Amino acid sequence: MLKKLKQIPADAVVNLIRSGWGGLASIATIGVSFLIIGIFLILVLQFNALVAEWREQFQLSVFLEDKITPKQLEILEKRIQNEAAVKSVTFITKEQALATFRRELKGQESLLEGLGDNPLPASFQLKIREGSQSPAALERLSVFLRRLEGVEDIQYGHEWIERMSSAARVTKLLGLIIGSVLTLGSALIVSNTIRLAVYTRAAEIEIMRFVGATKAYIRAPFLVEGMLQGSLGALLAMGLLFAAYRFIAPTFKLASPLLSTAADRGLLEPSMIAALVGGGAAIGALGSSLAVSRFLKT
Amino acid sequence: MLPPPRRIHSKKEVNQGCFAMIQMYHVYKTYGKDLEALVDVNLHIHKGECVFLAGSSGAGKSTILRLIFRDELPTSGQILVNGRNVVRMKLRAVPHLRRTLGIVFQDFKLLRDRTVEENLALVARIVGMPNPEGRQRAAQLLTLVGLSHKARMLPYKLSGGEQQRVAIARALMNDPVVLLADEPTGNLDAELAADVIRLILDINARGTTVLVATHDLKLAEEAGRRTVFLKKGRIVEEWP
Repeated sequence: MLKKLKQIPADAVVNLIRSGWGGLASIATIGVSFLIIGIFLILVLQFNALVAEWREQFQLSVFLEDKITPKQLEILEKRIQNEAAVKSVTFITKEQALATFRRELKGQESLLEGLGDNPLPASFQLKIREGSQSPAALERLSVFLRRLEGVEDIQYGHEWIERMSSAARVTKLLGLIIGSVLTLGSALIVSNTIRLAVYTRAAEIEIMRFVGATKAYIRAPFLVEGMLQGSLGALLAMGLLFAAYRFIAPTFKLASPLLSTAADRGLLEPSMIAALVGGGAAIGALGSSLAVSRFLKT
Repeated sequence: MLPPPRRIHSKKEVNQGCFAMIQMYHVYKTYGKDLEALVDVNLHIHKGECVFLAGSSGAGKSTILRLIFRDELPTSGQILVNGRNVVRMKLRAVPHLRRTLGIVFQDFKLLRDRTVEENLALVARIVGMPNPEGRQRAAQLLTLVGLSHKARMLPYKLSGGEQQRVAIARALMNDPVVLLADEPTGNLDAELAADVIRLILDINARGTTVLVATHDLKLAEEAGRRTVFLKKGRIVEEWP
């Protein structure tokens, strides 16, 4: 029994080699399907990474009244820190604000000369947890903060956040639709490719049936072969992606900040590669199994 | 040269003298609604017999063979092969039934991408024969059919007659109790056909029960064995 089981993968490999160009063609077809999925996945991941980065950098400024007392300042900082939505708080003194401003105005410092007293307010810079970055939550937070003692004004990219979050919603939906269509299409292509490969061997299945092979005996090598084709196709796609990436990435890195994050982060995570290859194997097994069943009435 | 046929009957049966290998009782086979392939067929073939099924195409010869190796089920009636009822047989028992049969087809059904030897080895593996034994048996059978010098060749490089002899050798790999041949000479010219029939009769002489379906009445006549004539799904005549 064990010997028989060991024979199955060997048979599958032999069959795959026997199928020659036909076998290569189906692996290539499967590879192209996975290549498309892979490219799509990378785009989605990059976009997500970009959005995450933006969100990470997002800040809400709480400007303080000039006459605020150290006691009030202390209480205010505590209250802000106690807010669930707030990730971290940084205090910026009037002098720091001026220094930053001066740096930003580099070369035009003369503009500041007429100012006399430092007109810039001290502030707290708040980093906000991602979950609370929705326009509604930010609005609630700013209303609350504005009422606190010693607070002059609240500022955050109000319109920008709104536009950004609706854009993210649309992209998510679009990605979901395109992703499902692509996945479904690839699954069909992969299983059909493997089906065709099985159909070309209908005679072999018939002969095996007639000389008394059991269903399981006939099915097993096809199943393994389907898995092999599916996973080899997926691996081929991954290989192509990485090769293309290594080849093209240096140019892209210069050209586009979007792709430069990709360069820093690496292409696909190992778990995703494993999932794609596993998915290929599963679809391959399913496709071949369905195809063989057609010829296996007894 | 071949090992003796395995004993397939109990001593009691043997002592009774004559026993049936294939028994068909009131077998009907209808395709779809009203295409009657077989009508009330009663056929009894004894162990060791060689029987020809003759009739034009569509007479029901192939259907009878397919019913015997349980590729199809009759619409009604009972069929016993070597004492086992194939109609009531469970699906998972079917492969075991087929391992006791040898089947030869008009179109040979050899695997094109494997050598003659490998085509024979496939059967050895399926019936669970150890490798060395399988190789030995394949060599013996190829000698029997006169093709031992072409063991390493691919089937399509052989002539039709040679291919059919390979197919016959393959059918004998599992030492079948019955050899079923469906138009084994259908693709061959007269001279090669006579060769193949001679080989089949030779196999019968070694003790294997043989059932040959053919549309070639002359061939059946020349063989001089029991011949059953089919017409439109009915047995219309038997000779002698």
